[in-house]
Amino acid sequence: MSSLTTESTPSPEPASAPGGRNPRSGARSLAGPTFFRVLNSEIIKFRSLLSTLILLVSTAVVMVGFGALSAWGTGQFANAATRDPQAAARVASQGGDLAISVPTSGIAFAQLILGSLGVLLMSSEFTTGMARSTFAAVPKRLPAFAAKLVVVMVTSFVVTAAATWVAGLAAVPILDNYGLALDLGSSQSVKLLLVNSIYVADVAAIGLALGTLLRNSAGGIMSLVGIFFVAPIAFQLIPGDFFKEARKYLPGNTVEPLTAAQHVPDTLEAWQAGLVLGAWVLVPLVLAAILLKRRDV
Amino acid sequence: MIEASGLSKVYGTKTAVAGVSFTVRAGQVTGFLGPNGAGKSTTMRMIMGLDRPTAGSVTVNGLPYVRHKAPLREVGALLEAKAVHTSRSAYNHLLAMAATHGIPKTRVHEVIEMTGLEAVARKKAGGFSLGMGQRLGIAAALLGDPQTLILDEPVNGLDPEGVVWVRNLVRHLAGQGRTVFLSSHLMSEMAQTADHLIVIGRGKVIADAPIHDIISGQGRSRVRVRTDEPERLHQLLAARGATIEAPDRELLEVTGLEPRAIAAAALEHQVMVYELTPLVASLEDAYMELTKNDVEYHSLPAAEVSK
Repeated sequence: MSSLTTESTPSPEPASAPGGRNPRSGARSLAGPTFFRVLNSEIIKFRSLLSTLILLVSTAVVMVGFGALSAWGTGQFANAATRDPQAAARVASQGGDLAISVPTSGIAFAQLILGSLGVLLMSSEFTTGMARSTFAAVPKRLPAFAAKLVVVMVTSFVVTAAATWVAGLAAVPILDNYGLALDLGSSQSVKLLLVNSIYVADVAAIGLALGTLLRNSAGGIMSLVGIFFVAPIAFQLIPGDFFKEARKYLPGNTVEPLTAAQHVPDTLEAWQAGLVLGAWVLVPLVLAAILLKRRDV
Repeated sequence: MIEASGLSKVYGTKTAVAGVSFTVRAGQVTGFLGPNGAGKSTTMRMIMGLDRPTAGSVTVNGLPYVRHKAPLREVGALLEAKAVHTSRSAYNHLLAMAATHGIPKTRVHEVIEMTGLEAVARKKAGGFSLGMGQRLGIAAALLGDPQTLILDEPVNGLDPEGVVWVRNLVRHLAGQGRTVFLSSHLMSEMAQTADHLIVIGRGKVIADAPIHDIISGQGRSRVRVRTDEPERLHQLLAARGATIEAPDRELLEVTGLEPRAIAAAALEHQVMVYELTPLVASLEDAYMELTKNDVEYHSLPAAEVSK
């Protein structure tokens, strides 16, 4: 068989994939898009964009930078507290352990950056026209969606966890200067690291769902900002019990009950928070999957 | 083989494709001709399972595209030159496409070489010229070494060398027994490439016939000639069997003689010619000619074809 060459180029037997040339051969069923192949394709797509790398590095830099900054601020605050009985009382009312949340102090920015990454992963497919290639190769569509979900969630988790760890390492000597101790191996530290990293992975999943639903980068990112930054503040400013109650159910307010040593007033119970966050992830994802399957590309 | 039956697509209130039925056979190049907005791209997207038909159905080798186990090995498509992420290199684009079907890297290098993209393969696809984008799209279509090729306006934006290359490529592929379905809005391009022609206008199939039948149905090629001795040239050319119209002073429109033959006649008799332009039959001409001759090439009604 001469492969797809122009007439002028007589070509030797090319290294065409098994079962490729003769579509009537029985090997054809082996040649299609399995989930792991689609996942591999999405990993290639993910790592071959400079913008992805920039967003991941930015996340790490912001997390570590905020960790160090927050260690310094916490040290200053603790210092002041030793001379000021009022401040000391405030410290005591916050459970005494100021240093524990220093490594995750940049999480609000990590969730915005990695959430945007989730949006872009799908919206850019549609804005550039790549979607036609992607969904011609994977016409069942959902394997590609699931592969993107795996890629963005795993990456977000790993980057957040690693950046939190490094932020902790950077914070320890700074805190030590002020006589504050931070044990990165304590169960509360590990819990904070894991829950926050899972949370950021969840935000990235919500971003992917928004990007799939809206097919527009600006729209997806603005929706994300609306849910995670505008709504919590707006709900706080609007008077009335309804908004005070509703505020607890915003995804951004589920982390505190999930990580606090004891129940914090005006937040959900930990199990409730877990369910609410789960719903915030699942509902948009299911909607996005259904619409992706049904709509024209 | 591609078989469409009663295929329709309605976007809101606009009907893009209105119940088309046709068969694209293996072993020949089938042209899909129609003006912009006639429904060519929509039809091709429906074949590829990207757009859902409002009514009707279309199959490739007996199955809807979506149901094929290895779609890229079954059908290769160039749907739009820039169905590529603009920030990704051509090589990585092809690598990612190949990965979905476990197609090896060697094949990626092969299609890059075939399409002449070696020099730009590592550059961002967003910076490609239209012609380079077309070559990348064709490379992607060839990845799975498919039995069926669907090419939407493949020569759009290509330089003359590229046009000839595409022409040879599709002829070669059809010669291997593959199904080749390519669209264009240029009648002249089709005339040189296709064996069979499906003409579509306003979402309906106007003609579905071998290319010879369609070409001979509408006028032969004409040449516009400007000369300061129109009467004398008129006689000379008429003597050589040409049909001549004289729409203006010093202007002749000659049918039935090649520009070279006209120039030779003029040179031989020392008649000065200051313009010699081949008038390529535009789609508009063919299209109007075809709608006039509707009856001769009319496709079968959907019900009869699909029965």
